[in-house]
Amino acid sequence: MTDARDIVTSVGELASEGTHDPGMPPAGIRRIPSGVDGLSTEHLIINMGPQHPSTHGVLRVIVEVDGEEVVAAESTLGYLHRGIEKLAETRRFDQLGTLMDRGDYVSGIHGEQAAALAVEKLMEIEVPSKARWIRSLMAELTRIASHLVWYGTFGLDTGAMGQFLYAMRDREAILDILEAVSGQRMMFNYVRPGGVVADLPVGIEAKIIAFCDGFDGYLEEHHALLGGNEIFQHRVKGVGVIDREMALAFGLSGANLRAAGVGFDVRRERPYDAYSELEFDVPIGTRGDAWDRYMVRMEEMRQSVRMVRQAIAGMPEGEHTAKVPKVIRVPAGEVYASVESSRGETAVHMVTDGGTSPVRYHYRGPSLFAVQLLEEILPGHLLADVVMMIGSLDIMLGEADR
Amino acid sequence: MLPDATVLNRILSDAGVTARVEETTLGIVAHVPCEMAVEALSALRGSDLDFHMLLDMLGADTGEGIEITYHLRSLSRDEDVFVKTEVAYDAALRSVWNLFPSALAPERETAELLGIKLDGHPNPKRLLTTDGVAALLRKSVAVRSAEEVRAR
Repeated sequence: MTDARDIVTSVGELASEGTHDPGMPPAGIRRIPSGVDGLSTEHLIINMGPQHPSTHGVLRVIVEVDGEEVVAAESTLGYLHRGIEKLAETRRFDQLGTLMDRGDYVSGIHGEQAAALAVEKLMEIEVPSKARWIRSLMAELTRIASHLVWYGTFGLDTGAMGQFLYAMRDREAILDILEAVSGQRMMFNYVRPGGVVADLPVGIEAKIIAFCDGFDGYLEEHHALLGGNEIFQHRVKGVGVIDREMALAFGLSGANLRAAGVGFDVRRERPYDAYSELEFDVPIGTRGDAWDRYMVRMEEMRQSVRMVRQAIAGMPEGEHTAKVPKVIRVPAGEVYASVESSRGETAVHMVTDGGTSPVRYHYRGPSLFAVQLLEEILPGHLLADVVMMIGSLDIMLGEADR
Repeated sequence: MLPDATVLNRILSDAGVTARVEETTLGIVAHVPCEMAVEALSALRGSDLDFHMLLDMLGADTGEGIEITYHLRSLSRDEDVFVKTEVAYDAALRSVWNLFPSALAPERETAELLGIKLDGHPNPKRLLTTDGVAALLRKSVAVRSAEEVRAR
């Protein structure tokens, strides 16, 4: 007679302990036949998404559960596929930013930066220092706005509610600033090859500083409200461990990689725009669990505020864009340009032939790599932790599907 | 940031791979024959250069075939290398997932969007589009369908 505790142990053995077994496909696609344990209970297949409030976009996860425990999971993508890479082959180089905005639509500026940097690298355009500083200023404001969406919804995923409303209050303040600068709240099309499309409006510095002064205190409150909650801590501490080896094997980047203890940040290792002149710290985690990912992102917001203040204080005088021809022709070649977006290393890998459009335009979205990790990491977790895991990885499906 | 081309050449030739290493606007690029791509990636992963991370993988229709680019990164040395190989239109791409699990999704995407077969992949399904959709990133596939062009 099988003891109930033995079943729990046998399920536990399937659990991913946060280490990747080289040479084995992800646990999620090693389909386990139903009724493998002593009691011959049937496994249940549960479909989550694509229209599920906790899948952050339109992700479909098919999970096979034994009671409450996930034994296999498969993520299905493509519900947001718009063919951005194909469309880019018919766009002019100054139009690429509009496509990038619609990829990762919560941190649009970062995508635009990657597209502009790719063109500038091949054309060897010297971007004026004011343009570089404005870009970094806008990028850090966008990072806070994006992390606030993650913070609010991650709380929702773990069963909390209040923090979402406060996060949206602060995000609105940032979107108002971004709108005053670029004319748009999300689809900016503000960063163009050679610089930015317009100079900062008069008086915006005071508004940004006023936001920073308020947000310093609000950030403490945010952390106390969610991170100080014991229920939340129980949900995330020690759960969803992604160790260094696994993070590297699955190509993670950004806060997910840094939470696993790898201190790689594109802004510091491969500085672009004004980051070589800005002072900031790169927080890293030690255990790689969901709590570490939470702490890394919270600290990143604090560092972003620090950089925004520096950018306002040190904003150089001069032109906001270099002289760029109306119709941009990029010399034939191939280029890889990456930026640190809110979700990780967002990059453009572009092939050109000397014409007015790219021949091949590839958009590397960090979320695609985070999504495929779900198949490896979910087995062994409770069903209730599936939404928590998706939330802790900060996945953006617009960028995974492109 | 750029690895030493002569060291790369030595590592690849020690592994029995005939490679052409050059520096382009992209960085250091190693061109290897299609049937030796897995050996080349394996040699680079195991070498002192420590290319442990497959950052990205993409395919491009060159008009003569599909050019596959693997983007490897060594975090310990902070260096990137691009390994390129040509696959014929009707040929199959050998999966490298057991060297680099991060290739699992990009390989599925490349196979479906560029219309090539995938060999040795544990889950070789379509990733982004449904059955019956053409290989969208092939140059022979127009951005607008005939119906769309008529409607304009």
